[in-house]
Amino acid sequence: MPLRIRQILVFGLPGPLLVVSLFLGPADSIRALEVMQWFGAGLGVADGPENAELVGAIVWDIRIPRIVLTFLVGGSLAASGASLQAVFRNPLVSPYILGLSSGAALGAALAMATARLPVYPSAFFFGMFAVGCSYVLGRVGKTVSSVSLVLSGVIVSGIFTALLTLVQFLTDPFKLQTIVHWTMGNLHNADWKKLRDSWPFLMAGFVGLFLLRWRMNVLALGDQEAWAVGVHPEREKILILIPASLSASASVAAAGVIGMVGLVVPHMVRMMLGPDHRLGIPACFAFGGGFLVLVDDLSRVLTAFELPIGIFTTLVGGPFFIYLLRRSRLGWEA
Amino acid sequence: MKEPGTFPIHDSKIEALRVWRVHFSYNGSPVLRDVNFDVKPGTFSVVLGRNGSGKSTLFRIIVGMLRPQSGTVSVFGRTFHDLSLRERTRLLGFLPQHHHAVFPFAVEDVVLTGRAAWVGLMPKEEDRRAALEAMERLGIGHLRGKPYTALSGGEQQLVLIARVLAQNPRLLLLDEPTSHLDFVNANRLLALVRESLCPHMTVVAILHDPNLAFRHGTHFLFLVDGTIVQLPEKTPPWDRHWLSRVYGMAVETVPYGDRAFVVPR
Repeated sequence: MPLRIRQILVFGLPGPLLVVSLFLGPADSIRALEVMQWFGAGLGVADGPENAELVGAIVWDIRIPRIVLTFLVGGSLAASGASLQAVFRNPLVSPYILGLSSGAALGAALAMATARLPVYPSAFFFGMFAVGCSYVLGRVGKTVSSVSLVLSGVIVSGIFTALLTLVQFLTDPFKLQTIVHWTMGNLHNADWKKLRDSWPFLMAGFVGLFLLRWRMNVLALGDQEAWAVGVHPEREKILILIPASLSASASVAAAGVIGMVGLVVPHMVRMMLGPDHRLGIPACFAFGGGFLVLVDDLSRVLTAFELPIGIFTTLVGGPFFIYLLRRSRLGWEA
Repeated sequence: MKEPGTFPIHDSKIEALRVWRVHFSYNGSPVLRDVNFDVKPGTFSVVLGRNGSGKSTLFRIIVGMLRPQSGTVSVFGRTFHDLSLRERTRLLGFLPQHHHAVFPFAVEDVVLTGRAAWVGLMPKEEDRRAALEAMERLGIGHLRGKPYTALSGGEQQLVLIARVLAQNPRLLLLDEPTSHLDFVNANRLLALVRESLCPHMTVVAILHDPNLAFRHGTHFLFLVDGTIVQLPEKTPPWDRHWLSRVYGMAVETVPYGDRAFVVPR
């Protein structure tokens, strides 16, 4: 397939998918035809459905914010994952693997439990702190091997998850349920307020990553190689980690821990469009958003009860990660 | 902005590189002791010495990745530590030792990263042209769309040289550029460096093989136990007593034309 067509697929498919998603839902709620009639009435070309009020409420108050939020979250996680892989020159990392997600989850949970901290900044702060820990702990001398970084990420992730559990343990039962539900990663309580709260952070993160996307190419070649052409590797890493953490932590604060999107999507995009981040970062955003919307559609349509989306993505992504690990053999020797 | 290549670099009063009284120790043990030398513009100087004599450390200091405990490095008359990394990179290019690629970037994208010191966030059309031109100059234009990771060692090295050409510095340091190349490619690469880079660019290279060095280099620097030893006057660099001292091992030389081959005894 020529590159041009693959580009059109990656960037173009999410559009129709979002539209189709508006018509999907649990079978016992409203039918797709009624949604169509409701839109027709809005445009003045058809009579509205009998239950126009219900359909309007479901489409406008539930489905649209949910689909938009899902898209932003999926896109942000994927773009963040792609940038982390470039910064650490390691195709095995993602916000989840490096502990960014669990750090952000702890930050957000602390904010929710205490109601004293602002949720999004707190998630960002803890998320960034967690990646920093993984990086520093994964260093042996002056080099960071692929596997030691993944291992330190696992440990950091574990520590922050334990702290999160501690917060949950100490929280009163009334708040606890909210926190537990949210950490499992789900989007079923998305609404306009959640979207309003989160989009500035999600977009700020994405704009930052978008602006720095060519610099990721420079960093991805290696520290000495970056230095040789005038890019200070450590400073540049921090510069890119800021929007990467912002994207991922805001996603976590909005939708909980959704694993594997940040790992799997960058690989899919690289397979389709090549490793150049000038194309890859926007492509990850579009494709990651579309991917998560699709998974969310499946979880809404296939099961009578809603499976939290985080469980779904991890079940799909886990085997994929093992496959990557076995195929690339990256860094085992280092 | 004026590109560095257009400066009158043959002004022999300004040294391309001046290393002055550089001392460096690592964890208390000295690596470089009172290193002094000058490199004339437009030359191809080769640094020779045994493993552990401090060659790579010296390069890292010149590039600014390591800071010496004392001493200064100046490039075309400018004290290096006073310049920003970006300014330095426009004067000085650096080809690090063996590069391990992780992502299969297209050759053109690898070469384009050489423009980082000249661009802001995104490379422009002129940067792309500079990259293509650099590839053409080295005869690797046909590789532009290929993934870097699929190339042979010789081709990869040429791509990295093209990257430095696109960077367009006035002084270029090569740290063992031939270490992964076979006999043919090593000679081809060095001939290319001498013919197409010098004298517009001043090149300083670390080489392990003295025969390769004498075949291609114009000037020679000898590093022994962390310090530069001066070749006595009227002694050719391939003098066997001299080289036996530099390498700490008896060597024999075989005359060949106006130079000599060096073989271990």
